[in-house]
Amino acid sequence: MSSRTAKARVAVASAVAVAAATAVAVTGGGNVASAATTTFTPAADTYVDNGSTGTNYGTSGQLGVDNSPVKRIFLRFTVSGLTAPVANAKLRVHTDDVSGSNSPAGGTFRAVSNNTWSETATTWSNQPAIDGATLGTLGSVSRNAWYEVDVTSAVTGNGTYSIAITSTNSDGADYDSRESGSATAPQLVISSDTTTTPPTTTTTTTGQSADPVLVGAGDIADSGSGDTATANLLDGISGTVFTTGDNVYPDGTASQFTTYYNPTWGRHKARTRPSPGNHDYNTSGATGYYGYFGAQAGTSGLGYYSYDLGNWHVVSLNSEISKSVGSPQEVWLRQDLAANTKPCTLAYWHKPRFTSGSNHAPDSSTGPLVQALYDNNAEVIVTGHNHQYERFAPMNPSGTADATRGIRHFVAGMGGAGFYGFGTIQPNSEARNSNTHGVLKFTLHANSYDWQFVPEAGKTYTDSGTNSCH
Amino acid sequence: MLSLKARVLTAVVAAAVLGGAAVAYAANSAPAEVVDAETVGALRAGPRLQVLTNGLLSSVSASDTRGPRTISERKCDRAYAAGGTVACLAPVDALTATRLMVFDAQMNERKTVPLTGFPNRLKISASGRMVSWTVFLEGHSYATTGFSTQTGILDTQTGAVVSSLEEFKATVEGKPLTAADANYWGVTFTGDDNRFYATLSTGGKRYLVEGDLSARTVRTLTTNVECASVSPDGTRVAFKSAIDEDPKKGWRLSVLDLKMLRRTPLAEEHSVDDQAVWLDNDTVTYGLQRPDGVNDVWSTRADGTGAPALLVEGANSPAPLPA
Repeated sequence: MSSRTAKARVAVASAVAVAAATAVAVTGGGNVASAATTTFTPAADTYVDNGSTGTNYGTSGQLGVDNSPVKRIFLRFTVSGLTAPVANAKLRVHTDDVSGSNSPAGGTFRAVSNNTWSETATTWSNQPAIDGATLGTLGSVSRNAWYEVDVTSAVTGNGTYSIAITSTNSDGADYDSRESGSATAPQLVISSDTTTTPPTTTTTTTGQSADPVLVGAGDIADSGSGDTATANLLDGISGTVFTTGDNVYPDGTASQFTTYYNPTWGRHKARTRPSPGNHDYNTSGATGYYGYFGAQAGTSGLGYYSYDLGNWHVVSLNSEISKSVGSPQEVWLRQDLAANTKPCTLAYWHKPRFTSGSNHAPDSSTGPLVQALYDNNAEVIVTGHNHQYERFAPMNPSGTADATRGIRHFVAGMGGAGFYGFGTIQPNSEARNSNTHGVLKFTLHANSYDWQFVPEAGKTYTDSGTNSCH
Repeated sequence: MLSLKARVLTAVVAAAVLGGAAVAYAANSAPAEVVDAETVGALRAGPRLQVLTNGLLSSVSASDTRGPRTISERKCDRAYAAGGTVACLAPVDALTATRLMVFDAQMNERKTVPLTGFPNRLKISASGRMVSWTVFLEGHSYATTGFSTQTGILDTQTGAVVSSLEEFKATVEGKPLTAADANYWGVTFTGDDNRFYATLSTGGKRYLVEGDLSARTVRTLTTNVECASVSPDGTRVAFKSAIDEDPKKGWRLSVLDLKMLRRTPLAEEHSVDDQAVWLDNDTVTYGLQRPDGVNDVWSTRADGTGAPALLVEGANSPAPLPA
């Protein structure tokens, strides 16, 4: 083993020399870090081959890059747990210990914006676009050795990163995939600056406490215990509470609100701005729902209304009545958004326009609401209906990724009811969970927002991130 | 470098299993990958396992199920194959309801049956003649109350369609069924293409029923047997057994000896909500979903011994394709 280690070290050194040089940065400022190093193995890796355009190699122990036939490698890393800025990120790949894995050209490494490709479904025919910046190029690579490329420019912090490797040389290289085992799997090695500027306590505290919190979920109260667990989470989170429908099962009667909703989420009724779901409408006209929430649910029988939180405009809509173009609700929404002066907008209702849930298909009848919000540069849409959590990348109203103006959609149906499974995972779905009750917490900054899935006690699933307003 | 042999195998299998689209792939291939007819004949002999890869009709080598996977562009929510027939329940989209699509082994479309509901179960008799399906009409989970299903049968030989088993005369515990709360799901045919098994729910109980297609009758045999699947030798059914007879607690994958009505729980301890498929007389295969919605195909021994094995990562809806 020692000789192999030595050999690898030599190889790495030469690779660094060959790779496109990026300055090894130590983040500036007065405090020089004692760097902490964290190593991630891929969440997914595969390659595609234009000689076999319908074949997936996701479970292979090998990753091939070549120009004849054309083979391209795709790697995806999930970086989490970093508590300090990234000082340096290196992608390390190991050539396979087989004849022919060596090549005069180790390939060109490029960023890929699509993070939702599947390891076991990606083929030449459906491969993601290699649309990002070139990060580095490896020259000649030998058999059974490590090589590394500086990817600091692409890996900026916690998050998901996809990188592709391509080659213009007809003598390709073969690397070990994650399936080859931890000793040879690709690695993303991140050094972070552990010394941070001492927080200016006053400023930080004031800034954070001034930013409003909006927290909630849908599909909430029934005879089970899930609603109790999520109500307990609300006890520890201040701010405005939203609901995305199906507040109480099975039928939204006044007595079910009293029996199931009131003892749990009812504790937070005074700060709750709800929306109704189909189960609330199992009682004709949702009279149980409107009677229970009163003016907090908007005009009785209409169920759509809006309010402001800090720099944010928040709209609660009703998917259980007409949403078509020209309907009173759609006309009201466009007028409401046109009159809005806040820079950021979030909307919520029950039935999802986009979902991978197996129990309820995406509801295209909500399309006019999505279009109106998109036309007015809204940031976030939260729904429920499928009893699970799902987060999509920002998308246009057709469901195409749209990094410029896209709306980030969430399904937050994990408020308490029994879980549903997932069907075919839809394009741009970035995070999913179907076994953890919880609440979705938004911190609404002046020109951005943080989202955080907060799990019930005893569970560990979480999902968080930040986006700027448009 | 992928070996020439592996590449040829992939291309040939694509042609054999996935038909027209795959033929186009082969035509586009570089000259180096074109092989003589004799080699093709030899490679065609390998058995495959058909699966869905996130809703795309796919297949892997039966002897290397975790190896390269051929993925077509055919979208299905559920698929099956047997006796030279391939069937697919197409996804519900914004504009259309689901439909049953039936293909021959070369993926030539033979029949389409429009359906209303959410695709759930799909099976074909061993001969390839009888196609049976279940869709959810209301609700979408067997673990909830208040759902309703619709189960139908297509005779591919005559083209006759049974839209709903609820049309059949049912005998429950010896008495004619009169209640209107009947729901059927999970049909499996025996070798004669007439006798079948299915699940009937009525009066809060879930029964294994034996049906007679030509007589249009069913009768109950026992309770708490769901989504039965007849073994190749016809002596047993694999099924899911609600834990403590309460579907909210999940299901134990089990095998029922049809002669003795003796139940054997299988080694899989995760809740299995699937209509299991027999790979051979000793092994059943089924899908399990991870919390993030990715499915995997597993297999386990039909006699309850051993431990489950991961068969195909990131896939569901398995069906063996004999050589």
